[in-house]
Amino acid sequence: MVPEDAHREQGIPPRRNGFHYAEDGVDVTLIRWMLSLTPTERLQVLQQNIQSLRRLIDAIEFI
Amino acid sequence: MQSNSFDFLAILRALAKHEVEFIIVGGVSAVLQGAPVSTFDIDLVHLRDPENIHRLLAALGELDATFRGMGDRVLRPDPAHLSSSGHQLLMTRHGPLDLLGTIGTARGYEELLPHTMEIRIAEFTLRILDLETIIEIKEELGHDKDRASIPVLRRTLEEISRKSKGE
Repeated sequence: MVPEDAHREQGIPPRRNGFHYAEDGVDVTLIRWMLSLTPTERLQVLQQNIQSLRRLIDAIEFI
Repeated sequence: MQSNSFDFLAILRALAKHEVEFIIVGGVSAVLQGAPVSTFDIDLVHLRDPENIHRLLAALGELDATFRGMGDRVLRPDPAHLSSSGHQLLMTRHGPLDLLGTIGTARGYEELLPHTMEIRIAEFTLRILDLETIIEIKEELGHDKDRASIPVLRRTLEEISRKSKGE
C-alpha cells in the first residue's frame, strides 16, 4: 500500500503537495509517530531536537 | 549563566531521588503524552509544604540551580521563593527548570492533582498534567504563545481517543 492510500484509510485527507494535514493545518503524521513511541523515547526526541537546534545555531557563521 | 546541556531526564531523576512531590505541566507534559511540540524548559508545579520544599531544595542544590537572567549575580532559590505562588525561573547544570507555585487561575499542586496521571519513565514514576487540563489552562491564559500550540494539543487528544477505540 502506498502512503497516500494508507493515510486515506486512516481518514487523513490527501493534499496536493503529498503531505497530510488536518483541516486546522496540524501535521497528523507527526502526532501518530509520537504516539507510537514510549514516554521515555518521546522525551529523548525532545532533547535531541533541542540539542540539534543548538548545534545548528552554534554552527552559524555570519558573512 | 548558560547551560549547554539539556537533559530533562537528569533533572527529573534528581527530583525523584529526593522524593520531591511535583507535577510536570506545560510542553514536556504534552510531549510525554505524544504531542509533537517543542519546549526549551521543563515546567513543574510543586507541593508547597515545608517538608517538600526542604526536599526540593536538596535536589536543587544537587542540580546547582540558580535564578536565570540575573547577569553576573548568582542567586539561589530559598524556602521563601519556593513557598510563594510565583514562578521561579531557574538554570540548572542540566538546563532550564521553571518551578511554578501556581498556574492558570491560581491553581496549585492540590488543585491540579485530580487532573494528573502517573507515568513510568526510565526507573521512576512521574506525575503529569493531563492534556485536557493543559489545553484548558492555555485557553485561560490566552497568550499568543499558548494559543499557538492548542491546535496540535487538541489534535493529539483526538488521536489518543481514536487509538484507544482501536480505530
